[in-house]
Amino acid sequence: MKKCVLIISAVITLLFMQAMIINNEPANKKELGKLLFFDPILSSDSTISCASCHKPQFAFADSSATSRGVGDVQGSRNTPSAMNVVLQNFFFWDGRAKSLEEQALAPIENPEEMNLPIDKALERLKENGSYNAYFKKIFNSEPNRQNLTEALAAFERSLETNESPFDRWKFYQDPHAVSEAVKRGFIVFNKKGKCIKCHFGSNFAADGFRNIGLFNSRELNDSGRAVISKDPQDAGKFKIAPLRNVGVTAPYMHNGMFKTLKEVIQFYNDPAKIVLNSINRDSLLAKPLGLTDQEKADLESFLMALTDKSFDINKK
Amino acid sequence: MKRIFVTVGIVITLLAFAPKNKLVGRWETKPSPKGNITGVVFNKDYTYEGYVNKKPFVSGTYSLGRNTITIEETGCNGTKAIYKLIFFNHSDSLRFEAINDSCSERKEGMQRTILGRVK
Repeated sequence: MKKCVLIISAVITLLFMQAMIINNEPANKKELGKLLFFDPILSSDSTISCASCHKPQFAFADSSATSRGVGDVQGSRNTPSAMNVVLQNFFFWDGRAKSLEEQALAPIENPEEMNLPIDKALERLKENGSYNAYFKKIFNSEPNRQNLTEALAAFERSLETNESPFDRWKFYQDPHAVSEAVKRGFIVFNKKGKCIKCHFGSNFAADGFRNIGLFNSRELNDSGRAVISKDPQDAGKFKIAPLRNVGVTAPYMHNGMFKTLKEVIQFYNDPAKIVLNSINRDSLLAKPLGLTDQEKADLESFLMALTDKSFDINKK
Repeated sequence: MKRIFVTVGIVITLLAFAPKNKLVGRWETKPSPKGNITGVVFNKDYTYEGYVNKKPFVSGTYSLGRNTITIEETGCNGTKAIYKLIFFNHSDSLRFEAINDSCSERKEGMQRTILGRVK
């Protein structure tokens, strides 16, 4: 009798495990991309996945100024959010990739990040029975450069958010979705703060690069866009960062030098006070904005209202 | 009492003959090849909100002429623009023809946009 119970338990356990494996099986490109995004199989020592730096709880950004790659190597730039990328036309702080597909493989090969040549990554995926089967089922092909990028990009394209208090106010026309401080902050954003000059559109970011004054060729010596464009005029220019979910993606800027939104607003209010001797700072920031404490607080409230409900800490 | 009835009567008559703002409500494009849907909500108070994929991207105010709309918004440095309104399909579809708009990006977007009334 005891043997019988043991056999039944073993069978149940096996069936349960099988069900777990079946449930894990991706049904389409997006789901396969998600599996890969969270799997350290794509890093040289199998310790780092895309999600190690693009953390879901921080809107797929990182909470460190710069992230650490395999072997604890310190990266040189802040990890941008991987969300709300559908309408973006440039990727990375210097805009070196013009499509998500072009972007998707770069961190895998980057020695500061996952440090795995793509050919080796593909070999691993082919040798892995499950992945090989998933790629064959979804793409009718073994893993290759093309379908690996397609899968990762498809997952990233699914990370759109449009359920923030701001969206409820403006899209769903609910005037009670945001506080009066947020409404005042929106006016500061559009007028006195001049934020709208660069942060416009559905993700609050123009497709372009600006030098906001974080380059002085001394302790701040990342020349940004100029490395890609080879144009000295682009020294110190970086991609205009989208602002959706900015309330959960601290620290800020290409080097993560500002820990809070307050610090960011303080900087924009009078850049020369924070960074001395900056080179070629944008003319939009030539003069201090002269924001009052109330306006700064309102602006911060507005920025916080761009946080999607999926990151609402009070709900958890 | 009679005066009240007369006044109420005049108000009702005026309201009945007041030009109806056909724009009020939600309008959207069909999905683009990439699946993006652009839309706009025209409010009774002559404000509007534009959006892409349910993400607001522009707020503004508008006024109406005979067959024209004048807009002023948060984008395009707050410059005003005038467009001819072309309603078709029993006034359930709408497109715009530029009369005066110095903002080339907006002009390009507006002229290729065809909106359908969301019911």
